[in-house]
Amino acid sequence: MTTYMDIISLLILVSSFVLVANKKQTSYIKTFRIQSFLIALSMAAIGFRHFQQNGRIDAFILCALIIGLKVIYIPNLLNKTYDKVEHKVEKDFYLNIPILTLLACGIAVFVYFIVTGIGQFDNRDITMQVVNMVSVVLIGIFFMITRKKAIGQIVGFLVVENGIFGTAMFAAEGMPLIVDIGIFIDLLTGVLIMGLMVFRINDKFDSINTNKLKKLKG
Amino acid sequence: MNLSVTDHLFTLAIIMFFAGACFGLLFCKKHRAANTLSNLFCMAGSAMGTISVVFHLLKGGGPVTVLNSVPGIPNFSLQLKYDNLSAYFLLVLFILTFAVSLYSIGYISHYYGKRNVGIFNFLYCTFILSMMMVMLAGNLLTFFIAWELMSVVSYFLVVFEHERSENVKAGTVYIIMTHLGAALIMIAFMIMNVLTGETSIIGNGAFFTALPEAAKNACFLLLLVGFGTKAGIIPFHIWLPKAHPAASSNISALMSGFMIKTAIYGIVRFIICGFGGIKTWWGMTILILGIVAAVLGVAYALMEHNIKRLLAFHSIENIGIIFIGLGMGMIAYSKEYYPIAAVAIAAALFHTLNHALFKGGLFLGAGAIQYATHTRDIEQLGGLIKKMPVTAVFVLCFSLAISAIVPFNGFVSEWLTYQSIFAFIPKGSLCINMISIIAAAALAFAGALAAVCFVKLFGISFLGLPRSEHAGEAKEVPPTMLGGMGILAALCLVAGLFPKIILNLLDKVLIETAALKIYPNLSGGTVPVFSGLTVSGNKMSMIAILAVILALIAATVPAVRIIGGKADSRKYGTWDCGFVEINERMQYTATGFSKPIRIVFRILFRPSRTLAVKGEHPKYYPDKMEYKVGTVSVFEKYFYDVIIRGLHRFSQRVKLSVQTGSIHMYLSYILVTVLALMLYSRLF
Repeated sequence: MTTYMDIISLLILVSSFVLVANKKQTSYIKTFRIQSFLIALSMAAIGFRHFQQNGRIDAFILCALIIGLKVIYIPNLLNKTYDKVEHKVEKDFYLNIPILTLLACGIAVFVYFIVTGIGQFDNRDITMQVVNMVSVVLIGIFFMITRKKAIGQIVGFLVVENGIFGTAMFAAEGMPLIVDIGIFIDLLTGVLIMGLMVFRINDKFDSINTNKLKKLKG
Repeated sequence: MNLSVTDHLFTLAIIMFFAGACFGLLFCKKHRAANTLSNLFCMAGSAMGTISVVFHLLKGGGPVTVLNSVPGIPNFSLQLKYDNLSAYFLLVLFILTFAVSLYSIGYISHYYGKRNVGIFNFLYCTFILSMMMVMLAGNLLTFFIAWELMSVVSYFLVVFEHERSENVKAGTVYIIMTHLGAALIMIAFMIMNVLTGETSIIGNGAFFTALPEAAKNACFLLLLVGFGTKAGIIPFHIWLPKAHPAASSNISALMSGFMIKTAIYGIVRFIICGFGGIKTWWGMTILILGIVAAVLGVAYALMEHNIKRLLAFHSIENIGIIFIGLGMGMIAYSKEYYPIAAVAIAAALFHTLNHALFKGGLFLGAGAIQYATHTRDIEQLGGLIKKMPVTAVFVLCFSLAISAIVPFNGFVSEWLTYQSIFAFIPKGSLCINMISIIAAAALAFAGALAAVCFVKLFGISFLGLPRSEHAGEAKEVPPTMLGGMGILAALCLVAGLFPKIILNLLDKVLIETAALKIYPNLSGGTVPVFSGLTVSGNKMSMIAILAVILALIAATVPAVRIIGGKADSRKYGTWDCGFVEINERMQYTATGFSKPIRIVFRILFRPSRTLAVKGEHPKYYPDKMEYKVGTVSVFEKYFYDVIIRGLHRFSQRVKLSVQTGSIHMYLSYILVTVLALMLYSRLF
C-alpha cells in the first residue's frame, strides 16, 4: 500500500514537471487532466482502505467528484475557452524549458530540505509523500509565474489546488467530506470566474497575455 | 473605599458633562435649546468640578479613585483617579470651561440655522470630557486611550467648518503631527511597561524607577518629542498656528488654554514624577527648547496680522516660558537644590494656570471681535474701543497679563521663573550658568516683544479709525460673551494680586508629587494671602506695587494740571497736509508697526517685499500702487518640506519598482515570501 501511494505521489510530482516542460497551451490542459486522474487514483486507494477498515464510502464519493470535476468538466471548459480566444501560437514562457525544469528540480530539493527538517512527521513514508505534494504546490506557483497567457495561469492555480488537496490527503488521509465538497465548489466557482475573465481580457487587449494587464495600473 | 461629599460632587460633574453631550444631540434640531442646555450643563459641571478639586487640594489625603473597571480582557483595565497634580490641572480646566461655556451660549448663536449646533455641542462636551480623562487616567492604557480620544475629537472640532479648504488642510496637518507624537508616546509607554511590568501612573512614589538608565534616557526623549508635539514646542509647532485659527474661537480657547497643557501635565507626571530621579541634561534639553520656543514664538507672532494666528504663536511662546521654568526646576532638582527646584516648577505650573486664563480670554476676545466684525485680519479693524468698550477693557486686561505687566498674573509667574534662575546661578557650573543667563535674557526679550506685539494687537484693532465697513458697523457682543471674558479677566487680576492663593495649592501639589516644598523658601510660611513674596532675599508684593502705581497716577494727574495750568481750548481748522480730511488710510498699519522687528530678525523671516505700480505711465502717473510684504516660514521650508519631498520621492520610487502592475511580479512576491518563510522555519 505504502509503495503504491509513494509511486502515485511521485507520479503526481513528475506530472507537474511535465507541466513545466510543456510548450503548448492545449498540453497544459492535458497534463492537468492526467495529474487530476492520478489524484483520483490515490483517493480511490484511500477509499478502498477505509471501506475495508470501517465500511465508509466518503473517499469514493470524493474520488467520483474529482473525476467528474477535475478530470472531465474543468479541462473541457478550459479547452472550450481556449478554442474561443486563442488563435496565435507564440512563445508563452519567459525562460527556456531546460532552465525552467532545472529550477523546478531546485524547488523540489529545497522542499525536501525544509520538510525533512521540520520533524513533525514521524512516519518516514508520509514525509516522502508530503515532500512531493508541497513541491507540487510550489511548482504550481512557479508555473504561474513563468507563463504569460491566462490559460497557463488558470492551470497553474489548479495545480496549486491539486497540490494542497494532495498534501492534505497524503498527510492526513483526507479531510472531512463536507470540507472537501466545499473546496470543490470554491474551485468550480473560481474556475468559472477566471474563464469569464479570460474572455474579458481577450476583449480588452485582443490577447490573453496577462502581461498586458500592466496597462491597468493607475 | 471612603468617598466624601466632594468626591461624589466630582462624579456628578462628570455626569453633567455627559448630560451636556447628550442634550446637545437630543436637541440637534432646535439649535438654541441644544446650545443653551448643553452649555448650562457644562457650566454646572465645571462649577461642581471646581469646588470638588479645590476641596480635594485643601483637604489632601491621597489619590481618589473615580472609576476602576477591570473587564475580563487580560492586561486591560480602565482606571480613573486623581491626585493633587491632576486636581490642580483639573482646576485649570474647570475654571476655563466655566468661562468658555458661558461665552459659548452667546457666541455659538452665529451658527444657528447654518450648522449642526447639536453635533458641535456634543463634540465640545466630549472634548472637555476627553481632556478630563487625560488628567484622570490612572494607568498607562487609560492615559493613551484618553490622549487619542482628545486628539481625534479636537481634530473633528478643527475641521468643523469643513467647507473651507484651509481648515481641512490645517486639520490634516494637525492629525498627522499629533499622531506622530502619540506614536512616540506609545513606544515610550511600551518600553516603560515591558521593562518594569508597571502600569499605574497615579499613586504614591515613582513607578518607573526600575528602568535601566539607557531606557530612561530613551523614554525621556520619546516622551519629550511626543508631548512636545502636542505642546507645540519648536520645531514641532507647525500644526498649532494652522489649527487654532481653523477652529471656532471657543474651541481655540480650550485648545490653547488647556489642551496643549496636557503635554505639560504629561511631562510633569512621567518625566519629573515617574522616573524617580532627574538627569541634568534632561533639564538642560527642556530649558533650551523653552528658550527657543519663547523667543521664536513671539518673533513669529509679531509678523502675523490674523488675530488668531498671532495668538497661536503666543501660545508657543508661553509654552516656552513654562518649559524654561520646568527645565530650571529639573536642573535644580538633579543638582539637589530642592527649594529652587520647587520655586521653578511651581512657577511653571503657575504660568500654566495663568496662560489658560489670559490666553483663553484672548481667544474669546478674538472670537468677540470676529463675531462683531466678521474678520480676523487686524488690518481691517480699528476704532473698536468706541463700539465695543467692555470687550476692549477685557482684551486690554488680557494683553497686560500676557505681556507680564503688573498687577496681572502673568507678571507673578514670570517673576518667580526669573527668581529661580537668579537663585540658581551662584550654584551652577559654568555651562549651566551660561544657559541660565541666556534663559533669563530670553525671558526678558520674549516679554518685551510680547508687549510690542500686544501694543500692535490692541492699538491697531481697538484704537484709531475703523479700517473697513465691518469694523465701522461693529456692535458690542451679547452679555453672556462679555460674562465669559469678564470672569477670566477678573481671575487674571485676582491671581496677580493674590498669588499666594495659587502658591498654597501648588505647595500641596509639589509636596505630594515630588516631595518639594515651596514655602520654607518663600517667606510667610503659612497663608497670609496679602503678604508679599520672597524668594532667596528678593521681595515682591503685588499689592504694594499696585498701591504705588495707583499713588503715582493719583499724584501725576493733579501735578500735570498744576504745572500745565488749566488747558484752554479753541476750535480751529488744522492743517491737514493738503488732503480734505484725516481718514483711516493715514493710520499706522500693523505691517508698518512690525517692520523694525522684521528687519532685526531678517534671518528668521526672510522677508520679501514687492512694490507694483500700475497705470498708463506708471513712472510718472501711477494709478494704483500695490505693496506686498511676505515672510517665509523657515521651519516649514527647510525642515518639513525637505522631509515630505524625500518621503514623496521614496514612495514614488517604491511604487515604480515594487508595484509594477505585473501579475507575474506579484506572484513571484508570493513565491519568494513562502520560500523565505519555509527557510526561516527550517533554520530557526
